[in-house]
Amino acid sequence: MLRVEHLTKVFPNGTVALKDVTFEVADGEFLAVIGLSGSGKSTLLRCINRLIEPTSGKIIWDGTDLTALSPSEMRRVRRKIGFVFQQFNLVRRSNVITNVLTGRLGYVNTAQSLLNAFSKEDNDRALNNLERLGLREKAYVRADSLSGGQQQRVGIARALMQEPKIILADEPVASLDPVLSHSILKYLEQLNREDGLTVLCSLHFLDLVHRYATSAIALKEGQLVFQGLPQEIDDAQFKAIYGQEAQRVSII
Amino acid sequence: MAPVRTKTPLLPALLSLVIPGAGQMYLGARMVAASIFGTAVVLAFLIWFTLENFRVGLVEWGTLKTSWLWLLFAVFWLWNVWDAYRRAHGRTTPRLVSFGIPILLIYIIAWQVTDVNLLRLVTRFSDVQIIFDALIHPDLLTRDTVVHQGMTTIWIPCSNPPQTVGPGGGSGLPVGIDKPCGTVGDTLVMAGQGFEPNTTGNLYWQEYGGTNEVQVRSGGAPVLVTTDAEGKFVVPFAIPAFAGRDGLDPNSPIVNGIEARFIREVGPLKPSENFGTLIGKIEIKPAPDWMTAFGIMPVGATLPAFEPGGIFVTIALGLMATLISIVVAAPLSFFGAHNIMARVRGGTVIYYIARAIFNVTRSIDTLIWAIILVTWTGLGAFTGLMALSIHSIAAVAKLYSEEVEHIDPGPVEATTAAGGNLLQNIRFAVIPQIVPSFLAYSLLRWDINMRSATVVGLVSAAGVGFYIFEAIRKGGYREYAAALWCIAVVVLIVDFLSAYWREQIFKNEAQASSAPPKAFYQTPRGIFYTVLFVAVFILSWNLAQIDLGKLFEPAPTFGKVLLDFVSVDTSPGVLDSVMRNLLVTIFQALLATTLGGVIALPFAFLAARNITGRTRAALPVYYAARFVLSFLRSIEAVLYVAIFVFWVGVGAFAGMLALSITTFGLIGKLFSEAVENIEEGPVEALTATGANRLQSIAFAIVPQIVPPFISYAIYQWDINIRLATIIGLAGGGGIGQLFQNYVGQLQYHKAGTVILAIVIVVTLMDFASAKIRERLV
Repeated sequence: MLRVEHLTKVFPNGTVALKDVTFEVADGEFLAVIGLSGSGKSTLLRCINRLIEPTSGKIIWDGTDLTALSPSEMRRVRRKIGFVFQQFNLVRRSNVITNVLTGRLGYVNTAQSLLNAFSKEDNDRALNNLERLGLREKAYVRADSLSGGQQQRVGIARALMQEPKIILADEPVASLDPVLSHSILKYLEQLNREDGLTVLCSLHFLDLVHRYATSAIALKEGQLVFQGLPQEIDDAQFKAIYGQEAQRVSII
Repeated sequence: MAPVRTKTPLLPALLSLVIPGAGQMYLGARMVAASIFGTAVVLAFLIWFTLENFRVGLVEWGTLKTSWLWLLFAVFWLWNVWDAYRRAHGRTTPRLVSFGIPILLIYIIAWQVTDVNLLRLVTRFSDVQIIFDALIHPDLLTRDTVVHQGMTTIWIPCSNPPQTVGPGGGSGLPVGIDKPCGTVGDTLVMAGQGFEPNTTGNLYWQEYGGTNEVQVRSGGAPVLVTTDAEGKFVVPFAIPAFAGRDGLDPNSPIVNGIEARFIREVGPLKPSENFGTLIGKIEIKPAPDWMTAFGIMPVGATLPAFEPGGIFVTIALGLMATLISIVVAAPLSFFGAHNIMARVRGGTVIYYIARAIFNVTRSIDTLIWAIILVTWTGLGAFTGLMALSIHSIAAVAKLYSEEVEHIDPGPVEATTAAGGNLLQNIRFAVIPQIVPSFLAYSLLRWDINMRSATVVGLVSAAGVGFYIFEAIRKGGYREYAAALWCIAVVVLIVDFLSAYWREQIFKNEAQASSAPPKAFYQTPRGIFYTVLFVAVFILSWNLAQIDLGKLFEPAPTFGKVLLDFVSVDTSPGVLDSVMRNLLVTIFQALLATTLGGVIALPFAFLAARNITGRTRAALPVYYAARFVLSFLRSIEAVLYVAIFVFWVGVGAFAGMLALSITTFGLIGKLFSEAVENIEEGPVEALTATGANRLQSIAFAIVPQIVPPFISYAIYQWDINIRLATIIGLAGGGGIGQLFQNYVGQLQYHKAGTVILAIVIVVTLMDFASAKIRERLV
């Protein structure tokens, strides 16, 4: 169970990115986070694993307040929180398996990892995860020679190396061709259904939310404006979240 | 734009009459006002200072001494009043005056301060021919010679009454003269026989029984002795002034020798003695210990071994300095990277300190570092290496830092999210991103270090720089020429390798195998390069005479010297000389940039692939132009100084000319690249309208290249100020000469003032040139 309580983030330049956001995610949920660009979706996800330090509020995960942890304690907790990025965030010049292995950094001995000496076990784990995402044969090619969809699958494989309990996905399909969106989201759905991972995923398209999410929250200008089931987002809700000029669009 | 006011135009005009720029300020044009005021202050200072110190523009009316340049200044002042007046009406004034007058003034002053004397270039041209001659015949190869000579003697001067017989005691083949005695200027006739038929030789006047001699000349040209078909010769000549070196006392005539000498080259060309000192020679030496130890050679056996010359020491210095700077600068660069330091507590402070240290260290030239370091570790290759390394570390660290700052933050975020700590994040998200550009910068630096290594020997007494220093001191211009050729070849090779490898780095080697690739050191290529690297490293280590122990055994005076350097002397006298010489240096750089740039302007088109590289007929021009630029660029300005010192004499003018040669090579390359980077579209469009080649250059190319040309010229001025600071170490005048004088007189606290001044000027210039170029682009 993940509880976010009164979370507020004010950036040093004065921008209020999140304002008193409170919600709850039960284990095993696929929570969609929706809202316009700049509504605070990315900031919210990054505050949860403290890639961005929240200004105030609490994040309580399995009874622990993550905002109260020391940096080294936080690093240990982060191992259990996978993160999938919009821009994939791969080291483009490193090969695929090295990128996947970096998902293991929270577990391994620092000195050993600095020498790039990962255990046989970790290596096999990386190959298995790549297998699962259909990229076993790409393990030793450079990351930048893959297509966008493949790169995002490498990103997911890297998150899986952490053996996470929860996956935070920040617009995982926004940088991809719309036709590839389903392939990526299906993998996340698979992890959610088969492995029982909790998934928090920010998304742009409402029909993707309807198709994959089990629950949804909506942010507008940093404030929570909706919480409930995806099906509950009717036209009135939609206008409230996206503004009066917004039109529903669907992909494939 | 200045807002149009409805105020009376007289008030701003009056204001500007009292204080330049005040009227413009009143009208709200702050930037303009500040520039006018600033320009006026700088010009006034320059006119006053150079009148006092260099007598620039001096005119005397009775007791009044002033500079006629104040007239030009007055014109500028009046323009400023006029501008304020017109500005009040919302109108503008011609830029020609506003920019023209200050520029004209600065060039007039620069011309005089740098002691430009074009006449000397012409009148003393015959003197410098000896160097051009040497450049064509560098002392590298030679043949065996056979000498035939005959010597006879004479009394100088005639006693009273004159001697009837000569002193006797000739040597060699039979020669004789027609008189037993004579005095300076008398004509003698020498005859000889038994020499090789139909050959030409020279005459020498000798101190009898000593080693001094002069070649006998007539009207500047050597007197030639030519034998006939039977091996006989008869030659008339005048007794040279050398004969009277000990006075002409009839009571004690002195015996002098006169020798006819025929030198004939025989046999094949072979490396000269000089070739051995400069490049190296094969020597028979005892086999090295490891060979006897492994039983490859018996004990006491000898082997031919290559004994490397000065140029190899220089190559080793350049290589080792680059390696050292990579190893040291790579970790240091993280302290100078804002994005990294922002993640560490107190990191921002460290960031600023690191950047400041990099910049200050970088602004002091390698050669000046060498002079400072000589007080620590003494003369020798090791000191040169340290000087190269220190400068190189700072320069490389700055570039590395900037590269670290430009990384994609995404992967760092990803490894952080996975629970990685700072070190792991750097290892997995930062380093893989920066390695290629680090390598590229290091290769570029290798090229630069190689060039610097050629000059560092001027002060640290090692390598080819020292060789040149010695050659010039002895007047050995053919040796000097040989060194220049040698440097050019080595630098061009390094230049090529560095560029080639840099290109290779960024080539994408996509490999699609599903098996893990072999580590670099497991592939044959990897093994080859590793072995090569280790071998070169060991050789370089030895040649560079690296002795880390020396670092801990500084000269006993080192502590005091260091303290002297730091306790800067700010007494007015010292500040005044520093200011004077600094001005010379700045103006040298300005004139050299102008001169080099003006010559490079047309040349750049010849060296541009898209201009001359297109047709087969023009291709040779393209390659020739490229070669000239590369060759001139490959030799550091300070090494050219010797030529111009010989040509126009010691001083700022010689330094300026030397600098302009290197400038020409550097800026010509930049210009030609700017020409190569132009867009073809406009050219095509004009050609389509029926414009001819010249028209399309004027209307489609020139507008595209003016901004980059100006930008490069300013950049070059910035570089030239750095270069000009060391020109003086070879007799080229300016701040470098002052520095060397102070160090030579052991006045280190004054030398410290010079260093401080250099740091300030170079840093300011660096900053200003970056700002101006930003605006131009």
